[in-house]
Amino acid sequence: MILFQNVNKDYNGRPALINLNLHIGKGEFAFLVGPSGAGKSTLMRLLYREELPNSGQIFLGGVNLNKLPTFQVPRLRRRLGIIFQDYKLLPKQTVFNNVAYVLRALGVDEKTVERRVVSALSVVNIENKKDAFPTELSGGEQQRVGIARAIVNGPPVLLADEPTGNLDPATSLEIVQLLSEIAQRGTTVLIATHDEPIVNALRRRVISLNGGQIVSDVDSGVYELKGNS
Amino acid sequence: MRILRIVLRVVVESFIALKQSGWSNWFVVSILATALVLFGFIMQVTLTLKSLVNSWGSQLEISVYLKDNCKPYPQAQEIGNLTGVEQVLVIPKEEAWQKMRKSFSVAYVENPLPNTLHVRLKSPIYVEKLVPILKAMPQVENIRYPLKVARIINQFRRFVEIGGLFVMLAMSAATLIVIGNTIQLVIQSKQREIEILSLMGVSHFYIKGPFILQGILYGASSALLASLLIAVVNINFQSYVQVQLAYLAPTLSNNLSFGLNPIYIMLFIFGITVGALGGALTSGRYIKL
Repeated sequence: MILFQNVNKDYNGRPALINLNLHIGKGEFAFLVGPSGAGKSTLMRLLYREELPNSGQIFLGGVNLNKLPTFQVPRLRRRLGIIFQDYKLLPKQTVFNNVAYVLRALGVDEKTVERRVVSALSVVNIENKKDAFPTELSGGEQQRVGIARAIVNGPPVLLADEPTGNLDPATSLEIVQLLSEIAQRGTTVLIATHDEPIVNALRRRVISLNGGQIVSDVDSGVYELKGNS
Repeated sequence: MRILRIVLRVVVESFIALKQSGWSNWFVVSILATALVLFGFIMQVTLTLKSLVNSWGSQLEISVYLKDNCKPYPQAQEIGNLTGVEQVLVIPKEEAWQKMRKSFSVAYVENPLPNTLHVRLKSPIYVEKLVPILKAMPQVENIRYPLKVARIINQFRRFVEIGGLFVMLAMSAATLIVIGNTIQLVIQSKQREIEILSLMGVSHFYIKGPFILQGILYGASSALLASLLIAVVNINFQSYVQVQLAYLAPTLSNNLSFGLNPIYIMLFIFGITVGALGGALTSGRYIKL
């Protein structure tokens, strides 16, 4: 599903990713861990084509992202669900409208929008807050809305960049368990995090990055880069 | 159906953006309307001047004197078929001689006058083109034409046209800057929203479309306001201007056109085009997707 082949990326000569090779299969659930500056966010940005690598190839669902024309980037992003640390919700829109936004932008009819949004909100267990505005919600609730928005279009891949960064430990665990449940339905989930307790609690595949390189890739792993975050 | 729904959503988003812009909409529309009023008045002056010049030009005549053995009417028909000729008036030599004898006490001698054709032109620009053709005709004895006047009129016409074009370009640039700056402010205030929409995979058309439509709406509403102002001014002052012009140049004022419809149409075309261009250029420059 996700394939990195000899990928290099630098910013003004400062290397962010060095000769990175990585494969994540369909329906897999993986943590991408590492200290700040390890290259986690760079890897995520390369996946949703916010940036291009200096060299190497990146494939997502068989599509070579290096060769993807700019006008097709929105289409790629609709095949991905992206979850952010700061939730990135539209503050002037209700929960329902935040989740419905992309569907409406795609010209989906209102009846289908209603059905899919309600379904996504029920997956993250927040359908009772559909008329609330983001500012009226707690951090955990806002992140649930972010997840509902990410899954509403039924994407095969879900990317979460530090999804628990602004949440308390209990809420963080709830959110990651929610993502784990979504992965069980066949969605590939990649979570970039340096939240050690969460990673250790789930014992799933852990890809450790340090200095732009993969230092370990363990199937049922734990967070191994202590003291670096 | 799906595309229609997308377009409808873009329109809805545009009106939401306008609503969010609040009082700054009035600011933009008033500045644009002022620019368009100026543009409209300048265009009206330009068109009036052009009409005036054409009116002068239409009174230019080439006098063609025919040889004695030539019949004037067939010759008049041949000249009337030439490009740029509006009308050919035949003055037979008998008629001219009779008029002359009536006006002056001329002694009874044989008629010395030639058959004459007065060739009226569609525009002064044809004088220099037609003179060599007429001169080359074997039945033509001589011709007289106001070349110097025609040249002055043509130069003045060109000056008015170039001046009008220059004013239009200057106004376009000024209007583009005003629209561009306003839409840029809207884009900056919505930067986070645009970033979110882009990351969610919303299409470029859907993100940029509302800003282009916003520019079009600014242009159209400014054109409407400017047209109303120009109409009010014209209703109140047109008769006064016509009277003054009739006093200054009585033979010319009858031919002048004060039609405002072309100006209204031009204002709308100009406003909408510049608005759309302003929206497209600004969104292209400041929205990085």
